[in-house]
Amino acid sequence: MKTGNRDQESGIRTSGSGEFEETLRLIARLSAPEGLEERVQAGLRKAKSANHSSARILAWPEGLGLSHARLQNLGRMAAAAAIVAVVLGGSWRISSRFQPAQPASAIVLPPHNAAQGSFSSAGAMRTPQTLNGPIVSVTTAAHPAASTPKPAAKKPLRHGKYRTVKYPGASVAH
Amino acid sequence: MHDLARKRAEEEAVAELVTQFAGTLYRVAYSVLRNAADAEDAVQEAFVRVLRHRDTLHEVRDQRVWLIRIVWNVVLDRKRRMKTRPETDDVAELARILPASGLSAEDRAAAAQHHAHVLACVEQLPAKERQVLMLSAFEELSSAEIAVVLGTTESSVRSRLFRARNLMAGLLNHPRSLR
Repeated sequence: MKTGNRDQESGIRTSGSGEFEETLRLIARLSAPEGLEERVQAGLRKAKSANHSSARILAWPEGLGLSHARLQNLGRMAAAAAIVAVVLGGSWRISSRFQPAQPASAIVLPPHNAAQGSFSSAGAMRTPQTLNGPIVSVTTAAHPAASTPKPAAKKPLRHGKYRTVKYPGASVAH
Repeated sequence: MHDLARKRAEEEAVAELVTQFAGTLYRVAYSVLRNAADAEDAVQEAFVRVLRHRDTLHEVRDQRVWLIRIVWNVVLDRKRRMKTRPETDDVAELARILPASGLSAEDRAAAAQHHAHVLACVEQLPAKERQVLMLSAFEELSSAEIAVVLGTTESSVRSRLFRARNLMAGLLNHPRSLR
């Protein structure tokens, strides 16, 4: 079998390479199929046109004669302006729908009908009318001394009613 | 207008790369995927990636190695996603691509069987060793260039290749020794 000796400076193919390398070399020397280049070129053209058609959505027409950098700047500015417009428009719509309530020119208070001389109701409504109590007539006594009550006789304390309790450990503690 | 001219020039440069390197990329892709349609798809995908990054083309020092690196990554991605191909598919595919001259039908079938067996053993190698071994079969790639494609050092490529050859020798003598 062939044992090549190409690439002497690299020493990659030394004498004594195995027979198996003939198989690999056979594949490595394989000729490319007919028309491979044309097919690859056609595939590249297709890929290119696919790229163009997908990019055309955002691309500017080339006939305007603007450079790539200027186009990019213009695009950025337009996008920024669009964002600002959308934000401002949205906030205006919200503010136009929700008007703040106008403050009242005069505050109407409920009528205050608290009884004369009583506590004020502090603005509470539906205060129930309190009834006047019965008037007690004061009778004047003929003998003022008789009318004064006698002081109650003091009852003597009954010793022995309450028992003192002796705790068994109290004397020990002292 | 200047931008348009620059864009056109970049596209022409990509078209030139296709003419120059499509065949090389196809072989690299085929060595891993071992299916003509899959390899062609991988080449297509690699050039689409190039087209996407065409504005950086002028920064690339070695366009050939750069392209091989791109297609290598595409191919590894695809291989990861693909199911394992049955060995019989490999035999049929190899019988199709083997040089027909001077071989009888029986010899061709036997050779296809042998190559399929070798490729099955290659599949059993650890990933790093397998990749170096596969790329080393390409006569247009030096060990330094293989190192660039794999994103490693040249000395690492050499040691991996040494290990790969030893492992392959063991596998071909004792087919299940790595399993």
